[in-house]
Amino acid sequence: MKEELLSVGIDMGTSTTQLIFSKLHIENMASSFTVPRVVITDKEVVFRSDICFTPMLADNRIDAVKIKHFVEEQYQKAGINKEDIQTGAVIITGETARKENANEALLTLSGFAGDFVVATAGPDLESIISAKGAGAHTYSKEHSTTIVNIDIGGGTSNLAVFSSADLLDTGCLDIGGRLIRVDQKSHQITYIAPKIKKLIALKGLDLSLGQQVSPADLQPVVLEMVHLLEESVGIRPQSEFYPEIITNKGLKLEQKIACISFSGGVADYIYNEAEGDMFRYGDIGILLGRAIAASALFTQMTVVRSVETIRATVVGAGSHTTEISGSTITYTEKSFPLKNIPILKLALADEAGVDPQLLAAAISEKLDWFKLDNDMQRVAIAIEGKKSLSFPEVQRYARGLLQGMAELIEREYPLIVIVQHDMAKVLGQTLYALLNYEKDVVCIDGVLVDNGDYIDIGKPIADGKVLPVVVKTLVFN
Amino acid sequence: MNEDKLIELVKQVVSEMTSTQKSDNPVMLEAVPSDSEEYVPDLSQVDFRKVLDIPHPANREEYLRVKAKTEARLGVWRTGPRYRTNTLLRFLSDHAAAMDAVFSDVSEEMLEEMGLFSVSSRCSSKDEHLTRPDLGRQFSEETIARFKAKLKPKAKVQIMVGDGLSSAAIEANLRDIIPAISQGLKMYGLEVGNIPFVKNCRVPAMDVIGDELEPEVVCMLIGERPGLVTAESMSAYIAYKPTVGMPEARRIVISNIHDGGTPAVEAGAHIAELIKTMLEKKTSGIVMGD
Amino acid sequence: MSMRLKTTLNGKTFQFRDIKDVLAKANEPKSGDRFQGIAAESVTERVAAKIVLSELTVGDLTENPIIPYELDEVTRVNIDGLNRHQYEAKKNMTIGQLREWILSHKTTQEDLIRSSRAFTGEVAAAVAKIMSAMDLVYGARKINVVTRCNTAIGQRGTLSFRCQTNSTTDDPETIVMGLMEGVSYGSGDACLGINPVEDNVESTRRIADGVYNFMSKNEIPTQVVVLSHMTTQMKAMEQGAPLSMIFQSIAGTQAANDNFGVNRKLVEEAYILAKQRGTSVGPNLLYFETGQGSEVSIGADLGVDEMTLEARTYGFGRYFNPFMVNNVSGFIGPETLYDGKEMIRANLEDHFMGKLMGLPMGMAPCFTNHTSITQDDQEMATMLLNTAGANFYMGVPVGDDVMLAYQDTSFHNDAALRELSRRKPAPEFHKWMMKRGLMDENGVLTELAGDGSIFLK
Repeated sequence: MKEELLSVGIDMGTSTTQLIFSKLHIENMASSFTVPRVVITDKEVVFRSDICFTPMLADNRIDAVKIKHFVEEQYQKAGINKEDIQTGAVIITGETARKENANEALLTLSGFAGDFVVATAGPDLESIISAKGAGAHTYSKEHSTTIVNIDIGGGTSNLAVFSSADLLDTGCLDIGGRLIRVDQKSHQITYIAPKIKKLIALKGLDLSLGQQVSPADLQPVVLEMVHLLEESVGIRPQSEFYPEIITNKGLKLEQKIACISFSGGVADYIYNEAEGDMFRYGDIGILLGRAIAASALFTQMTVVRSVETIRATVVGAGSHTTEISGSTITYTEKSFPLKNIPILKLALADEAGVDPQLLAAAISEKLDWFKLDNDMQRVAIAIEGKKSLSFPEVQRYARGLLQGMAELIEREYPLIVIVQHDMAKVLGQTLYALLNYEKDVVCIDGVLVDNGDYIDIGKPIADGKVLPVVVKTLVFN
Repeated sequence: MNEDKLIELVKQVVSEMTSTQKSDNPVMLEAVPSDSEEYVPDLSQVDFRKVLDIPHPANREEYLRVKAKTEARLGVWRTGPRYRTNTLLRFLSDHAAAMDAVFSDVSEEMLEEMGLFSVSSRCSSKDEHLTRPDLGRQFSEETIARFKAKLKPKAKVQIMVGDGLSSAAIEANLRDIIPAISQGLKMYGLEVGNIPFVKNCRVPAMDVIGDELEPEVVCMLIGERPGLVTAESMSAYIAYKPTVGMPEARRIVISNIHDGGTPAVEAGAHIAELIKTMLEKKTSGIVMGD
Repeated sequence: MSMRLKTTLNGKTFQFRDIKDVLAKANEPKSGDRFQGIAAESVTERVAAKIVLSELTVGDLTENPIIPYELDEVTRVNIDGLNRHQYEAKKNMTIGQLREWILSHKTTQEDLIRSSRAFTGEVAAAVAKIMSAMDLVYGARKINVVTRCNTAIGQRGTLSFRCQTNSTTDDPETIVMGLMEGVSYGSGDACLGINPVEDNVESTRRIADGVYNFMSKNEIPTQVVVLSHMTTQMKAMEQGAPLSMIFQSIAGTQAANDNFGVNRKLVEEAYILAKQRGTSVGPNLLYFETGQGSEVSIGADLGVDEMTLEARTYGFGRYFNPFMVNNVSGFIGPETLYDGKEMIRANLEDHFMGKLMGLPMGMAPCFTNHTSITQDDQEMATMLLNTAGANFYMGVPVGDDVMLAYQDTSFHNDAALRELSRRKPAPEFHKWMMKRGLMDENGVLTELAGDGSIFLK
């Protein structure tokens, strides 16, 4: 069995918007003599769009009409009908995500991305997606090493650390190419981001709005930004300003990172020489890129060339967000996709001894956290499960889950259970039996989720054997 | 839920997890006898996929990472060109488990507990079972009469169990797989009747049941020839209206059912669905892997 | 003169039905023959059959093949593969005389190699049936068969291995990790050969790519082979899979070969394809696997004893000038070879018969877990075959093949066998081992050997 999933990735970033189409190849890798094991065997980008500056309205809101127009045009260019899209992600990244009409802009695109897409991304997810798009996780696996990818865009630098393909950490700094803008003609400073203003003040640099500057004038502040990047990956002692520049969190730096790669728009000027007008994009992107290439990041770490630079996030969104569930699962629910379901992951202690009372108590207690204004949301319960378990243990798991999820069942929500070990088919069948076959059950395994994640579950593929899922990591760790 | 709340929640959960991890080791406590000083440690309990015996490997982490993905006995090191003592003894103990699985019988208690009725193939001994595969697929007239007395003719589904080449596989998996199959079949409105156990059994014995009782689907659970990795691996052979002499391609097999492969409970749930699909399509030729 | 199939012995008269009957009854005890009901019923009957057999001539056995020429392709290939001059020179010898000629000090290696195309499978089986264990070892030891695919193996003073690190999931990563460790022990100069779980072009290509990349990145002078069905490998090769040669299991009757999906025409096509699309210069571009009992286990034996069928298999394989022939007697189980003694005897017979017929014989004395055969039996067979001069063995991590669920020679056995017989790897591979600091000039492992992760640095 071989099957292809057509996936789209759309990235609306601080400065640019773009999209890609990729084909995910799905194959049953199990022998014909065992239970199926369907996996994604290959990811292939089949179309890369033009890159446009993210259109903004005068009042600093996203120009949704123009974006829609751009996307339509690219679909035509690729010769792809929006009905053919099976999975993918639209993400709004960086400062754009903070615009007040971000959601509205997303809505205008929803029809283009099929009905199964990621909606928003926080800094952690952005870091993960761009690093995967840059090829950092693949590199770490192929070379058995640790690598940090820094995706440097207009407004932020997103960091993700992988060790042999395992995600170790994420971080984000407010460092980017468009945090200082310079008029292309007059070379006057037209914008300085608030945190950079503070940095300039702290370092006593002589830069202010309206000032006419040369690249040399900006060099000191660009160097300060590079130093902060060096601090962020642990090759320079952290300065007093470092906590200030962090967007949400920095890297924990519990182990030495051997390699480094770069993506984002600035990366092109890290890997390549720049000639001509340094202000041709009206910002400090080129200067920042060249300064990084001349910094300790290049001398003290092994520099790896990323497979994507400015397109890393969009390739990550299109090619690396969709996963496949385990291949022996249970679902009686028909109304896929299920979107934006928050995860309630039980603690290991809650599962100790598979005591139904303990399980039920833990679930109902933790479900309270998911009540907004006393109103229960849809929640997926995630458990670890057991590698080898007996039939009575399955029964105990099922009884505990049902009792704990009573409130969800009352609300007529589908019962969604995500278990890590290979037991979803029998657990799902048991839950369904205990519910007298009257309530719908979705029970999947083989997907790693944690508290702080949201999950989308798409329509069945591969003869209904598996469900595609997108895990949205809003908070990593 | 806003992000701050989420972080708080996650922190809380993480702290809970780390605080319980120290004491959360019940499996090890069970495995080691209370007076452990008196015992030479149980060699078969060592998970050698997690052990690297090479004294100064060039890349320990990567070795262990790949080793964890395979049962192959890698990274065992050597003395001269020969095995270390632990390697040799572990090989011998795994071989012992495998041979004992073949040359022993499924216990009567187990069969009683599961409510199975016991018959034998035409093989009169283990030795004959191993050297005469032709007799392991045949029954005496008296045995066929017993089948006819105990089993419902023309049933939708007939489950049967055979020792095959590993009694240990039956002992290890039957308690979990039978109720899982029954529960799954019930979900599709299918009943499991009496289940025979066949001693000294080969897979094609199921075809005789097909001819004599004409069930629509026969599912034979049988012990696989043991490898050193596990002696407890079971297979399920499933066929639509099997008949003696039919081509092997008319059988579907789900193998590798054991703790380290597909767990018996999960395999049972999968088998129930396969049987349902087979009944719907009225053929064994349901596309499986491709 | 018509053939004499009658004798008296120890006060009893024995009348054998035909050559097939004599060959079956003359065979040393094998459970496969008992399963078929064709074995001698007493020890005296067995010896009587050997005596009758010893008086038959090479010509008798060649001109009266046990399955007629018209009815069976294996018979045809055996006979079509003969060299008429060599055959005429030996045709009047009795089997008893042939035994003495082989073992005589006057008969040189040259003589034996030159006569290898004088004999069909029936003749090779007949003479082996009247040879003792030491005869089989001594006779085979005189014959050296060198072949070349990408590199050459089989030279006197060398001993080679196929590194066999199968995966239950066809996962190239664990396969290659195993190969890394295997080659560090010096295993893998015959080939890096993987049996896939799934017989399809995708798995074959995926594995071939992984193994080839490892080989070429580290400049290892050896060959890559993936042991899926011949037609699968051919498709993979057509699509560019970097295979050095093509593998196929073969057997001693047309019925068994039909069951395996192989025939003369297909093998000829495979050879041409390997010449055009394979990654080796050759001229030997095929790899065959054989073993006593494969025909009886699938009911395609036609009442012929399993040892004679094995020799006929060699007559089939010889026609295509293989790079290596690997014998896996012991793989099937106690219905074909009952215990350690039967397995060891079968291995010595097969090695001798194959060498006599000019084949590059490698041996995989092995055992499954549903017999009484143990590791000791397996190691004894290996050491005897080492004395007999087998070209190669397998190399499996600790002898435990996790995919095929049987036990075979291990990396450690490989290294020890070389030391025991003072043999070295194939010359190019040996040079490479020394360059990597894994082996000294005498073929003994250095302190580095055994750590596969040196290739991960």
